[in-house]
Amino acid sequence: MPKSEESSYPFCPDEGKYEKLAKIGQGTFGEVFKARDKKTKTVVAMKKVLMENEKEGFPITALREIKILQVLKNDNIVNLLEICRIKATPYNRYKSTVYLVFEFCEHDLAGLLSNPQVKFSLAEIKKVMQQLLNGLYYIHSNKILHRDMKAANILITKAGKLKLADFGLARAFSDKLNRYTNRVVTLWYRPPELLLGERNYGPAIDLWGAGCIMAEMWTRSPIMQGNTEQHQLTLISQLCGSIVPETWPGVEKLELFSKIELPKGQKRKVKERLHGYVKDQYALDLLDKLLSLDPSKRVNSDDALNHDFFWVDPLPQDLNHMLSRYNKSMFEYLAPPRRRAPINQPPQAPGVVRPAGHNPDQHFERIF
Amino acid sequence: MAGNFWASSHYQQWILDRQDLYRERHNDLTVITEEEYQKIIMLFANVIQALGEQLKFRQQVIATATIYFKRFYARNSLKCIDPWLMAPTCAFLASKVEEFGVISNSRLMTACQSIVKNKFGHAFSGEYPYRTQHVLECEFYLLEMMDCCLIMYHPYRPLVKFCADLNAEADLLPVAWKMVNDSLRTDAPLLYPPYLIALACLHLAAIVKQKDIKGWCAELNVDIDKCMDVTKMMVSLYEMWKTYDEKKEIQAILAKMPKPSLSRPPSEATIQDNSQQQQPNQQQMSSGVS
Repeated sequence: MPKSEESSYPFCPDEGKYEKLAKIGQGTFGEVFKARDKKTKTVVAMKKVLMENEKEGFPITALREIKILQVLKNDNIVNLLEICRIKATPYNRYKSTVYLVFEFCEHDLAGLLSNPQVKFSLAEIKKVMQQLLNGLYYIHSNKILHRDMKAANILITKAGKLKLADFGLARAFSDKLNRYTNRVVTLWYRPPELLLGERNYGPAIDLWGAGCIMAEMWTRSPIMQGNTEQHQLTLISQLCGSIVPETWPGVEKLELFSKIELPKGQKRKVKERLHGYVKDQYALDLLDKLLSLDPSKRVNSDDALNHDFFWVDPLPQDLNHMLSRYNKSMFEYLAPPRRRAPINQPPQAPGVVRPAGHNPDQHFERIF
Repeated sequence: MAGNFWASSHYQQWILDRQDLYRERHNDLTVITEEEYQKIIMLFANVIQALGEQLKFRQQVIATATIYFKRFYARNSLKCIDPWLMAPTCAFLASKVEEFGVISNSRLMTACQSIVKNKFGHAFSGEYPYRTQHVLECEFYLLEMMDCCLIMYHPYRPLVKFCADLNAEADLLPVAWKMVNDSLRTDAPLLYPPYLIALACLHLAAIVKQKDIKGWCAELNVDIDKCMDVTKMMVSLYEMWKTYDEKKEIQAILAKMPKPSLSRPPSEATIQDNSQQQQPNQQQMSSGVS
């Protein structure tokens, strides 16, 4: 490469600026580490950009995450601090590595929910959901779809601030007719329209995920843990009722509607099924609206934020007090697998994949 | 993704000061004149345009690629990385950032070879020397140098809005649109926000089309002096084009262009480099055997 050595790049600081402390997760396109700025002692999260597909050059998923997070600046969106690179040396076989550097958040929601000692009051659940919907409202009004809603991608600081994270699958959307890939969203949080092959989808896909996460605040584990797309659709039908044109006009036009066998004659039982866990009527009503099969009838983030759930007693309450009881980080990556799905009794579904050699006694990393 | 221009990296980090720009360019300008410098940058804007047309890019992708190119050389000497390599690298990165879809490496390299041969024979003699691996490596430098500031705002969108407001979609828009394309051959995109470039081009288009838009302009709350700066840049570009023949003159200018101090063609150089890297291993292996 004919690049003169005199030129220096003042912007991108060298990764030597940080020291790695622990691996805390596995993102869509790379590992995540907890690290510390050697000078300022600020703790950060560093996400390694995997350069697996060398033909593609710098991965488009990483480019998307970078450009989207540079535009999105909000209290409920994870804050991208900078991008840095380790230079190519003989030690890394002349391959340079790029890291995205984020503000550090102590917990993720999946990690918190998998710890039975962590208990959320109704008012605290309201605060979690309010911040989650507020984050979604912000990204959707900026014409961004998250496309990977799940409890592990919801970070929570020890001060109780919620941050939407992992924009590795996110992309901009327009109101025109589109053809996006429908191979997005972790299966258990994937909405019925994606499972049926819709490619012209919109913000409603993230609100389905928000509904799954909201129910999880009480059930403590993902509510529909399908093994396959077919199985996931079965679980959805058992909870939300049969997928038919009478309740969802136009569904018959989706590519896979006629190709997949869908359970018939199922009644919608969202409120009944969840009633065992969720006693609050307002919560059940909002859940019912978020888990609407027909994406055009699913509540949007603005209307959800105006739902009575957030405006009747007990009012949303900050999490900092409850979280101050814990001095350890809780991340899904470091936590033991959560209990099997309580509401749909699925057959032996594979557990959340854990890295090999993980010691189940080391559930939570001591952080602060 | 609409975003907010005033909060963007484009506005906050990449609207440069004219003095800054000239200071960075100073070293190159000891070897070539200012006008020659502009002619080189213009040549590569044309290369990127041709490459983009060959690959059927939208104009927005081409504009983004062209400004990436300008940004790199706004901070680096022309000898730093060969512009013949930087041009396709900018096109490659812009196609991904603008969600045009990833173009396959072979298509990109074939397009390079074909336009160099068929359209820029007056500027480049011989085979196009770079390969995919050079583009991928160069992409890293480009990203790093831009501090990963990828989002670009262009004058096209404000221009369309202004024309709609003026009811001038039929007469002024096509002329002004072409002028915005021409503005990519000047320093204007590095120095002024896109809406000012759009206004300057609209102003010039109104003069060309002899349409009176003074009343509309009078109600604008913009810095008219800055707008006039852009207009002047455009006018001097058109003045230059009256007498400039790229086909005849560019070869001599490129011969003077500052170049990296490499005696071999870069493709060979890299092969050489690789073999040097492998040598220690081979030595280790052979010593292990003995």
